[in-house]
Formats: sequence, C-alpha cells, structure tokens
Amino acid sequence: MSKLTLQYEGIALKDYAVGAGITIGRLPDNAVMIDNPAVSGHHARVFHEGNRVILEDLGSTNGTFVNGRPVTRHVLQHGDEVLVGKHQIVFDQNSAEPQPAGAPMQSLGDTVYLDTKQHRALRATLESARADAARPVHTRAAVSASPSAPRRVGVLRVIAGSAEQEEYSLDGHTSIIGRSNTALVRLRGWFKPSIAVAIAKNGPGYVATAMGGKPLVNQSPLEGRYNLQEGDMLTVSGLVLEFAWKEGVRAESAA
Amino acid sequence: MRLRVGARTDTGRVRPQNEDAYMSQAEHGLFVVCDGMGGAPAGEVASEMAIQAIARELKDRENGDALEASPFLPHTQRLVDAVRQSNEFIYGEAQKDPRQAGMGTTIVGAWIREQIAGVAHVGDSRAYLWHNDRLEPLTRDHSLMEAHIEAGLADEGRSLPVEQQNILVRVLGREPAVDVDVTEVPVRSGDYVLLCSDGLTRMVAESELAHAIRTYQDPQQICDRLIATANMNGGADNITVVVVEVTGGWWHRLIDRWKRSVRRGQDVETYAAV
Repeated sequence: MSKLTLQYEGIALKDYAVGAGITIGRLPDNAVMIDNPAVSGHHARVFHEGNRVILEDLGSTNGTFVNGRPVTRHVLQHGDEVLVGKHQIVFDQNSAEPQPAGAPMQSLGDTVYLDTKQHRALRATLESARADAARPVHTRAAVSASPSAPRRVGVLRVIAGSAEQEEYSLDGHTSIIGRSNTALVRLRGWFKPSIAVAIAKNGPGYVATAMGGKPLVNQSPLEGRYNLQEGDMLTVSGLVLEFAWKEGVRAESAA
Repeated sequence: MRLRVGARTDTGRVRPQNEDAYMSQAEHGLFVVCDGMGGAPAGEVASEMAIQAIARELKDRENGDALEASPFLPHTQRLVDAVRQSNEFIYGEAQKDPRQAGMGTTIVGAWIREQIAGVAHVGDSRAYLWHNDRLEPLTRDHSLMEAHIEAGLADEGRSLPVEQQNILVRVLGREPAVDVDVTEVPVRSGDYVLLCSDGLTRMVAESELAHAIRTYQDPQQICDRLIATANMNGGADNITVVVVEVTGGWWHRLIDRWKRSVRRGQDVETYAAV
C-alpha cells in the first residue's frame, strides 16, 4: 500500500492512504483537504492505474509541482515531493500501515449528501475552475428545466382555418395542438385528435412531434422530432399555422 | 394510448435491507422511484414516506389545479408540487424524531397523461426514454460527479475517485426547501419510460439498458432481466426498476399481441392511460 504524507514547512501533519484514489483540494469533500486560498477547490488527485500511482492536476489555478517542476500528470515515484500551494505531500510507495482516507463529511450509509452551504462553496469553485480551465468545457444538452430565458419566443400564426386566436405564443415547456383542454391551440370537433402535435422547448429552439391525426409540415408528413424553423408551415386538421420568432417579449418565470 | 407496466425492487447482494421504494399506479399513469438514505431504519422510512406523501398529495388534488402559474402542463406541475410537499413532510418528520434525523431520499417521478410524460427528480435516481430505438436520459444526477462533468473537470473516462462518486448535492428531506428538476416529453406508441435507482445504473451500462428493452420488449421481463444483470455484476446497492411501455390503439395492441403470442404465448395486463 502507498501513502501520502501532508507536510507544512517540513512538519508532517497527516498520513493518507491512496486506496482507490483520493483528491486534494480546499473543499471539505476532498480526502486531503488543505484549507488555504492558494489551493483550488479540487486541486489534484492521486489514483492507481495498474501498478502505478498517478498524480493528476485537476486544472488548478496555481498548479501542482513535483520536485519543483510543474506537472499536469505524473507517475509518482517513492519519495516524490508534491507541492500544492504551500503544502508538501510526500509519496511513500511501500507504507506498511496506511490510515484509511476518510473525507471529513457526514456519511449517510454509503451515499453522502452535501448540504446547501457545502454545495454553494463547491459550485463557486467549480464555476471559477470552469472559467479559468484551459481545457475545453464538456458540454451536454441540458435536459433539466432550467429556463435560460431566451430573449425571443416562438409563435404560431394562424394562416388559414378557424382558431380562437390569430397568434399563439409558445411560452410553456410543452405546447399542445389538439382537442385536449390543456391544449394551447384548441381543435374543435369530436373526431379531432386529443393531441395532434406537441411542441416542446429544446434549448433555444422548439421541437414538434406528431402525436395524432396526420399533421403536415411544409406539406410533408410530420415525422419523428422536427426542429421548427422560421417560416415552417404546420397543417393540423385543416388549420394552417406558421412558426415564427418574436423578439424580446417576456422573461420566463422559473419553475 | 395504453400503458403496460413492469416493476421490481431487489435488495441486491451486499446491503442488509432494501431502502428503495416505488409506486406504480398504471391506471393513473403515475410512477415513482425513491432511494432512501440515512442508515437503518431511517432510509427505508424516508423513501416509503416520500411515496406515501406523493400518493396522498396527488389524491387530494387529483383533478385540482396547479398551485402556481407554470410553464409546464398542469399534471406536471402537480407532480412537482407533490414532490416539494413530500420534501417538507420528510424534513418535518426528521426534525421530530431523533432516530430519523438526517434521513433523506432521492426521487424520480413520471406522470404520463395524454401522451405527455411530466418528469420530476431530485438526487441520482434516473428516468430514461426509449424512443426510435434509442435510449435518452431525461434526468441529470444531482451528484458531485455530474457537477464535475458540467464544470468540465471530469467525464465518463476521467472519473472521480470511487468514494466521491456517491456524493449527492440534492436530496429530499434534508433541507426545508428543495429545487426540483422538471422536464416534459411527448411519448408515443412504441416508446418506453424507464425509472430506476442508482443500484441499477452503477451496475449496468446504459447500452445494456437499451439492449434489454430492444431484446425483451415485455416491461416485466425487462425489469427482471435488468435486476438479474445488476446482481450478476455485483449488486452493490438496492436495485429498483419501473418500465412503462406506451402502446397505441387497439390495432397496435392486436399486432403486438400477435407478435407476443408468436414469441412467448402470454400476455400482461394493459391499462388505459388517462
């Protein structure tokens, strides 16, 4: 087993087993927590890769140094001196009696929960890390309902057929065209589909899905999920609607 | 539109008890999975409490209006309101009883009405949509891991240390108020909605979830196979899976039934969706 010894000005403070892998940083969820402003929230991590022990800088602001040289990723050798902020961490390859690395955090069975205060601190650090990280930010399509308050909103303008309004603003997360009483654009008549088309917000745009009847988009059957573009014509049960963008109308209220 | 439903929960192979709980009210189109925490017996209590509170809230206001103006459809907003209420309830109970102090639970709920699934979640229990032969996540975990991914500090290949992978940043019952993530998605005949606790997703890759849906098609069989796979891979945590298949009108069902009778010669009960 290998261990890390945290030192400050040559004085050993604490030993940590590498175990399955540990992180070093200023926040309380790090196994090796160093409460010093020069240390990033999640500064570096140490983990096993096969038989080797790897030190990896997690995009820290002030860098990680091994024996005086800056590193982003380094295979630790016995006796290596890692510098994080003003603290040294000495790597011991063959420690006999490692102490278990315990994160100083409230443990709930096996799952651990960060309360709002801890979470805010974490988020602030992550945001600053993101701001100064040189590496490309990993982006994924948002699926949660964080309304990013687009400055423009999509509208459906009635081109032909009879409807209650001349124009419908697509404010909700999901807007429905159909007979349903939750529909934005109400279709009248017994044989009309309860939901003919569902239009969902998707990031900055809108996606239309045919749900019933035989809706058309630009005279072709609406199939699968269709990303609405300015000027698209939807034909639903005799009603013709044009999709258009309207600038800077309203800010959304958060859910 | 009709719904065929499979559901199952399992203690797994490591934990002494099952702290997961689920609700499957196919006749209402309402499905919930909770993963409790807080050690025995509070974790079990918290997840069960959440389920009961949701059922109660939605029963009280079955056809009531949503409490506030909302960008979501009324049934989605009611689900979100119910999740918030259950948070308050669990938090209140935890304050009263020291044996239950610190209990909490994740929650993922889907309410399918009129072909729109409203999905609300807190924590790392997940919802997926199977659509067009593809599995799409409908939720993002409220976990440290996900926070790192969002910040560009980690990705699936460059993971956090194991002991940090199960740190949650949001759960029900630990604070007086909670943010609930919400989404809505249209569902069509042939789609499946899958809800599960992390006992499944930690043990079984998403590609295997997709494979199970594609291969078995029958909701209960999908649940059974996925739980078996999770246990085969270690069963480190409690495992809960709810699978809802959306089927079409009578002609779809007829074709489906014919296909199934050819395949296995048996059928499961179907429910009319509300």
